[in-house]
Formats: sequence, C-alpha cells, structure tokens
Amino acid sequence: MILPNQAADTMSNDAPWTEPLLLSISHLTRYSYEGNVKDSFNEARLQPVTDSLQQCLEFNLHIDPETPIRDYPDFYANCVHYFDVPEAHDTLEVEAKSLVQTNPEDRWEIPLVGQERLESPSVQDHFFDFLHSSEFVSLQAEVWREAIDALPGGLTDVWKDTVTIGEHINRNYKYTPLSTNVNTRAVEVVKKKQGVCQDFAHLMLGLCRTHKIPARYVSGYFLNQHKIPGEIEASHAWIEVLIPGYGWKGYDPTHRRVPDTRYVKLAVGRDYGDIRPVGGTFRGKGTRKMIVEVSVQRLG
Amino acid sequence: MSDLFQQKPITTRRDHMVMLSRVANSLYWMSRYIERSENVARLLDVNLQLMLDFADFNDQQLKEHWLPILCSAGDEKTFFKLYDRANSENVTEFLTFREENPNSIISCLFTARENARQVRDQISLEMFEAINECYLFLKSKNAHEVWKFGAHDFFEQIKKYSHLFQGLTDSTFLRTEGYEFINLGKFLERADKTTRILDLKYHILLPSVADVGGAVDAAQWQAILRSASALEAYRRFHVEDIIPNKVAEFLIFSTTFPRSIRYCLQRIDAELHRLSGKERREYRSQEERDFGKLLSDLNFITIEQILDTGLHQFLQGVQKTLDQLDDHIYQEFMYHPPVDTEAEIFLQQQQMQQQQ
Amino acid sequence: MLLDQYKTEDFFDEMFTEDGGIRPHYQKIADCLRSLDPAEHRGKQTAVDLAFMRSGVTFTVYNDDQGTERIFPFDLVPRVIPNNEWEKMERGLIQRITALNLFLHDIYHDQKILKDRIIPPHYILGAKHFRREFMGFNVPKDIYIHICGTDLIRDRQGNYLVLEDNLRCPSGASYMLENRAALKRAFPALYRSARVQQVDGYGAELRKVLQYVSPPSLGSTTQPNVVLLTPGVFNSAYFEHAFLARQMGIPIVEGRDLVVRDARVYMRTTTGLVPVDVIYRRIDDDFLDPTIFRPDSLLGVPGLVHAYRSGNVSLANSIGTGVADDKVVYYFVPKIIKYYLGEEPILQNVDTFLASEADDRAYILENMEKLVVKSANEAGGYGMLMGPWAPKAEVDSFREQVRANPRNFIAQHPISLSRHPTSCEDGLEGRHVDLRPYILYGEKITVTPGGLTRVALRKGSLVVNSSQGGGSKDTWVLQGDS
Repeated sequence: MILPNQAADTMSNDAPWTEPLLLSISHLTRYSYEGNVKDSFNEARLQPVTDSLQQCLEFNLHIDPETPIRDYPDFYANCVHYFDVPEAHDTLEVEAKSLVQTNPEDRWEIPLVGQERLESPSVQDHFFDFLHSSEFVSLQAEVWREAIDALPGGLTDVWKDTVTIGEHINRNYKYTPLSTNVNTRAVEVVKKKQGVCQDFAHLMLGLCRTHKIPARYVSGYFLNQHKIPGEIEASHAWIEVLIPGYGWKGYDPTHRRVPDTRYVKLAVGRDYGDIRPVGGTFRGKGTRKMIVEVSVQRLG
Repeated sequence: MSDLFQQKPITTRRDHMVMLSRVANSLYWMSRYIERSENVARLLDVNLQLMLDFADFNDQQLKEHWLPILCSAGDEKTFFKLYDRANSENVTEFLTFREENPNSIISCLFTARENARQVRDQISLEMFEAINECYLFLKSKNAHEVWKFGAHDFFEQIKKYSHLFQGLTDSTFLRTEGYEFINLGKFLERADKTTRILDLKYHILLPSVADVGGAVDAAQWQAILRSASALEAYRRFHVEDIIPNKVAEFLIFSTTFPRSIRYCLQRIDAELHRLSGKERREYRSQEERDFGKLLSDLNFITIEQILDTGLHQFLQGVQKTLDQLDDHIYQEFMYHPPVDTEAEIFLQQQQMQQQQ
Repeated sequence: MLLDQYKTEDFFDEMFTEDGGIRPHYQKIADCLRSLDPAEHRGKQTAVDLAFMRSGVTFTVYNDDQGTERIFPFDLVPRVIPNNEWEKMERGLIQRITALNLFLHDIYHDQKILKDRIIPPHYILGAKHFRREFMGFNVPKDIYIHICGTDLIRDRQGNYLVLEDNLRCPSGASYMLENRAALKRAFPALYRSARVQQVDGYGAELRKVLQYVSPPSLGSTTQPNVVLLTPGVFNSAYFEHAFLARQMGIPIVEGRDLVVRDARVYMRTTTGLVPVDVIYRRIDDDFLDPTIFRPDSLLGVPGLVHAYRSGNVSLANSIGTGVADDKVVYYFVPKIIKYYLGEEPILQNVDTFLASEADDRAYILENMEKLVVKSANEAGGYGMLMGPWAPKAEVDSFREQVRANPRNFIAQHPISLSRHPTSCEDGLEGRHVDLRPYILYGEKITVTPGGLTRVALRKGSLVVNSSQGGGSKDTWVLQGDS
C-alpha cells in the first residue's frame, strides 16, 4: 500500500461506500533469477474469500512455467494453492485473476461489550490464537506501553476502543513507504513510529491483543480511486476484531475507517507470517528480482 | 547440470532390488579404497626391503628412489609441505599414517570404513565387521606397537584385512547390482595401480648403462613383480631369469594373473555389460567405447610394439581411459546432489519468496 | 559370590524382597550368578563389549570435530518381568496409545475435548508442537502414532508408573534387539532354561505397520515402497537407523536421496527415479521440509509436505504427534483415557504439578529444591532440574524460568526408581532402572514383550539417558510367572 499520508487523510474523510461493487482483480508476481534455479516449491494465498460481505465469482491461478496446482484449506479456512516447478527456470510467474462481488454490511447493530464478557473463558480459550503473541506480533513491554498510551482508561467497550486504538495509530504513526520491509515486527514499528499498511495492522493487532481483544490480520485489496498518477497499486492489509455476540468486524488503521464495499478480503491469520500471498523455496545461486503488479477494476 | 530426472524415465519398479545412487557411490569407493590401501602397503613393503640391499644410498639416491613412488601413490606437494627430505622413514610415514595425505593407508581405510558405515544396511554384517575391525586396529595403540615391532608385519596385517574383506565380499554379498559396483571399484583401482607400479620402472628404474643386467637392475625388476604380488606367478611362466620385457608383458597381457592389466580390464568389461544389460562388445557411450577399444587392442599389439612407442606413453593412455570411465560411471549411475555441506548450503539458497 | 555383599538399602529392588529373599522370577538368575566366578563374569562382560565395538553397535558423541564412537554400555544381568505383571502393563500401554491416538485425531479435527473443557484449549493451541498446518488433514487409517516408546518407572512400592510418552521418533529399539542377541551368546544355558518371550519379531512387525499405512491411492494390491529416512551417518542414532532398515529389508535414505515431482516422492537410484510410498522418518517435523517448516533445514526434502498433503506418501509417525508428548498434555492423559474410552487408566501417571496453574505454581516455586522440574518439550534428560541434588544457582535459575514462562514447565516429586543388581567395579551393586517398551500401531496394536531397560550406571544417579551416563540391560518377559 503506497498511499502518501496526506492522501490517506483525505480519503479517510470520505463517507463509507455502501453500493455493491463488481470488482475485477489481477495480481501478478514475477520472480526473475540470475541464472537458472530449480526445485521451486511454493504456496499461494491469493483466492478471495466468500462470506456475507463478498462473493468470489471467478478465480483463476496461472503459473508459468506451467505446472499442476493443488489446494487445501488451512487452519483459518483460507484456500491455499500449492505447486512446484522442479525443472530449471529463470523466471517464475504467478498470476491470479478474480472476479468479486462486494456487498454492504447488513448485520445488526454492534453491541456494547465490556471487559467482563471479553475475559470470559469462552472468548479467551476459543480465540487463543488471536489473543497471544505470534511471529510478527510479540506482546512485549514496548507494545504493552503503547497499548496503555492508546487506551489510558483501559477497556470499556470493545468496538469503541478498537476505533480509539486505530485512530491513535493513524494519528501518531507516519505512513512512509520503504521505511520498513516485509519482515518488520510490530515492536520495531513502535520504535520507528512509521511504516506501511502491514506494519500498522501488526501494531494494531498488538495493541488490541494487549487489551485482550481477539484480533486477526487480514490481507486483501481495495479499489483506490484517488490514485496519484504513477502510483503503484498493490495489495493491502488491515485487521479484524472479534466482538462477542456480533462476530468479526474489520478496521483499517492505515485509512482510519471500517472496510467497505471497496475492500476485497483474501485471507486471515495471526499475522502476515501465516498468510504470505506467495511463499516458498527454491534451489539456485545468485540473486532474485521480484515484480508485483496488482490492478483492481470496477466493472459494475 | 545434468538432471537425472530429465535423463531417465521414472520407473515404477516396486521391488526391493533398486539401488540408491548414493549407495552405489559408497560401495564403489569402499571397494576402491580397500584395494588402494593394499596396493600402497605392498609397494611400501617391497621397497623398504629393497632398500635393505642398498643401505649405502646417499640422500640424492634415496630421493631418486622414493620420489617416483610418492608420485605414483600419493601427493608430492602435500609431502613436501610436511617433510624436507624424501628418505625411507619420511616417505613410509607419509604413505602409511599421515591423515593429511588422502591416499595414505590410514586415510584409505578410514574412508573405506566411513563409506561402509553409510551403507551398512546394504553390506553383510561380516563385511562390516571386517572393515570395522581394521579401523579399530588402526585407532588402537596396538597398531603402533605392531609398527614399532616391524613395518613388514604391519603391512602384512593391512594386506590381510584387505584379503579378508574381499574374500568375505565374495562369500557373503548378494549378487545384485551392488556387487557389480564393488567389483568395478576393485578392478578399476587394481588396473590403475598395476599401471603405476609398472610405470615406476620408467621413472626410477631406468638403469644407467653400466647397471643393465647387473645386480641392481635385477633386484629392481624383481621388486616390480613383488609390488604387484606377481613374482611367483611370473616364475611359473618364465623359468629363466627376470627379463624386463617379459615382466612388462606379463603384467600387461596375462589373461590368467588376476592383477594384470588385461585381466582387470576383462573383469571391468564384464561388470559394465552386466550393469547395462547390453550384449558383449556393445557399448552405450563414448567412454565405454574407448574402454572397449583399449581392451580389444590388447589382442593385437605386442610388447615389442609398446616398448617401441614408449611404455610410459602406453601406461598413461590406459590411466586416462580408466579415469574417463570412472567419471562416466559416476555420471551415469551415481550422480546425486553434492555431499559437501558447505557447497550444499551455497547451492541451496533457500529464500522465502515473499511479498507484501 | 557375586551377590554376597549386595545391599538393597531403602529402595524397591527388582531381584530382592525387602527381607533379602530372592523374588521367585529371579531365582534362576541368582543361582547362575552365585555359581559364577567374578573373573568369569568380568570376562563375559569384556567379550560382549568387544563384540559390540567390533560390529559397530555404537553411538557417536561429538565433543570435538572428530566425534567419538562409543558403545551404549550393556550390563549383563538381565531384568526380569513375570508374565502376569507384563500382561497388565501391556493392557495399560495399549489403552494409553489408543486414547492418545484418538486424542490426536480429535485435536486435528473437531477438538471436542477442548470444547468439552476437559483440557483448557490454551494448553493445546499454545503447544510448541501443535501443527496448525494439519488441521482437518486425514492421515491413512486414522493412525497418528505408529511407533511409541513409553517410559515406565517403579515407585517405592513397586507400582509401574508412566514417566513420559515418546510419540515423535522414539529410539532404542535396536538396542533391545542387540542386547538380547548378546545375552543369548553370553548365557545360552541360563537363557534357555528361563523360558523368555521373544523380541525378534519387532522388525517384521514394524514393517507390517509401515505397509499397512500406505497411501490409499496406491490401492490394496500394490506392494508399497517403504524407506527409512535418516538425518545421516553423523547422527548419533545412525546405527539404529541402519540396523532397523536392515531388519526390515528396506532402503535407508537421506534427504538428498529423495526428490519430489508433481507432489510425489521419488528416490534417486542407479536406474532412475523410483517412487516412495511410505517413509519411516527418523527426523523431527521441523526438519522434514524446508518449504513448510524450518527453511534452514538441509536434512529434509523440499516438497515432501506437499506430497504428504496430497495423500501420495505416508509418514510414520504422522506430522504433529509431538503435541501429545508435551509434558503438560501428559498431565491430562488419565483424563484423556477416561474421555475417549470411558475407562479408568490401567497405568498411573506420576503426580504432576502444572506451573501454569496458580496454586501449583506457588507450590512449585516454594518447594523447588524438593522437586524435579521439567521443561515441557525437551527429551533425553535435558531441560530438567533435579531439585534435591542441584546446586542452589541452578535452582534459582529454574525458579526464574518458571516465573517467566510457566506454560513451559511441570514438576514432580522425585520418584526413587527401583534398583537392580548391576555390574560395578566391585561386583554387583544396586543401580536405578527404568523401562521403555515399544508399542506398534498398525492393523492391531502390539507391544514387544520386554523393551529397553535403561540403567543409571553412576552410583545414586537417577538419570538413565545414554547421553548422560546411562547403560542398558536385556529385559526378559517370562512365559510364566517365575
């Protein structure tokens, strides 16, 4: 997500989109290697989910060099495609094309949920994975301090406090492309006070979990209509919190808003590490270049 | 890099007679190293005894005597990193005990044992016990005591371990593909060593004019035969004195002496055909054809022709053909990813292919 | 003569009753030892040691780059178990592995045991060896634990208690078989007269288990190709890997011998690539496949997990069994047995305190110098505090660790462990022993009669692990009761 901060601010003032959208998404990843590599084994989490907010109408994954693709559902019910390219190759292309229908939120009103309900064993046990440290989100002292700063009065209502935490991050952290990388942990984000959407999401997970709000990482895309000329459109990341008696509810700290019909969800997990869009290994010497091209088009 | 996957079909063989490439490689080298240790032991034993008759050699003469042996059996460069003088003690120690020398007796046997350990589920318990006993002997104080008592007894012991191992292989190992690799290793090594023993004469035993037919010359040719364990066998064929061209002829052409070059090549030829399943005199690669040509040449040329064009040249030709065959066997049957961990890490740059 | 000076002291002794009498099932051995000259006994011991060294029944200890090969010390005096004791033990072990296998299936599917709050879910979801990646995955024939080695000890009263379950890659079965062979050579007449149940069937039984769990896609008429996957010749248990492969007549392979093509596993052979259907793997989950688990693993096979997931290859044991030998889960095994089988456990656990429960934690912290504290996921006697024997600094360090990460620790009162006459410098003395029987789970569950009796050779020591001064004994299960 490469939006400059100012643009993000402008956009956050937009009213939420409620009209259903038909979105066409293309996500191309091209690796080029210096010399041949082989024995490449990969997993991809690129298929949009189908739930009450969106239907994935079409999905097509193409690998070049061509190879059979298999899939399985992971622990968090994401669809994972896996494939291998054993023979020597010097480029690898992974192209996902999908057609998604998005719908506005039509659930009942978000209930008020206090600390007691949140700390009940049914919530704490059932959502264990989303309440504790994970690879990118370690609940250590720096994160804890930031969580107190974001919510000095402690937890009173899950959703209200989630929004407060999100706004705290949006206000105090500077959106700075290239200031971090894909391996940056939440605790480093606290120290740097800047980052990109992945970092904001990780940080927000840390702060929510510290306050015992179950929170998970979401990867996806959104339709960006305020594009600056030449701006690269890429994938996006936000979070969801669990509100007992209601369900999961999304929040995008990068834009300080609730994801609306412009958003397309790909996968959920404890953090980025669980749901890398494409990940794997190969054998071979030398360096590797990666190009990612994402486009989200509105069809209707 | 040639990829096995692309070269060869995926078979659907579901019997247990398949052999891992890595296993073939280990059996082959286990066998080669044992044969090599025996040859080094014999060479040293004979030459140490030879030296008893030439106690008055000066440094230069000693060097002239030992240097070619070093070249044929070991690595000259490594030697001079460790020693200044090429005298009997130093050369013997270097070729026997120094682990810095990958071809010393001790290195050969340790490597052979390590290879045996890697395939100990494949070889018979008796074979493993034999090579393991040898290893334990070399690691123990006992080895040094035997050595102190006399080099000859020590070399005898080494030769016995080799004979024991090869005998047990014959009597306990399954006649499967593995046996063919063991034999290939043994006879390739043996043929190579016989060429090198014979080639010693070219280096050191070039008699000075005065010595031709003299005592030194005779003793040296006799030493050649004994180095190849061939003295008694030779005498059964040639009752007269030891004649240089007869010795060379015997060690090259004999069809009955199991260390002659021709005999070894015949055995290699048979194993190759068993492995490939081809008819006799059919070969499937350039290396095998070159090898077949060499074997067939031995039917038509004479020792006189060889001596005319140069014994040394001929022997080098044999060595080169064997080297190429060795390489070919490796590529064809044994190729597998590098063993060296460092190289492996270098090759296998496992990176996460990830993106934001 | 050998037994004249023997003292049982204040321990349960396997051979002697409290008043110094010989237990009936040890009578023949006692007679034999009495008739034996100490020098003769030493002679037999030396001969056995030499034979082990010669045939390479060794493990490798790495103190320097060279690595030293040592034999796993073998004590000639066999441990004897009468048949009635064994039958009960066998029933208990079968009950335990059945329940643990059901538990693993449940944990990786519906998690009913968590929903019914028999085990607090955080213990499972937070377990180091819980493999989220395999939720909902079906293993062939629903068998997770194909090979299990359960460690049993006896308390002051002689009750058998389970100390831990080894459900990942339990080792030692080869020593059980080698020990038997050595003992038969050393005491042929005694062995014959004692009427001992055989252990030789282990290799054949293991092979049957491995064939039984071959991938369903292979069809029932095709012989599966089974291999043993070893970390390699430098692994300390390499002897065992080679030994078992030999017993079963299957190839022993290293990671680099295998390749994955189109989600199928093949081995590189002299005649090309040959399919592999079942892998008896002796490497941990973490190292199996660098694509999925530790990316720095050079021991594994890239793509192996893809093939496993596609149902084209079976692994024994299955991926993810480690969650059930977490020592915190151990605490719940009696409840697991009751939950899945509706039965009372036949074999009891050692009383255990969980550091993550507030009351237990307080007790542990207060009584640390009286307790044995263990970290939840270590094996081989590592990560363990023997409170009563440990220096104060070590106790303090463990106290800190328990405070910082209570989930990772449990504690038990030290069990004195039974003792057994064992050859020492000056004849026979009592040394502490445990017992590891081997359980195989295929079409049916079998327990090889006996197992590996491990003995702490250092006087007074309770640590029986081979890496820390332990040895072993042959274990005789009699056909009758004496």
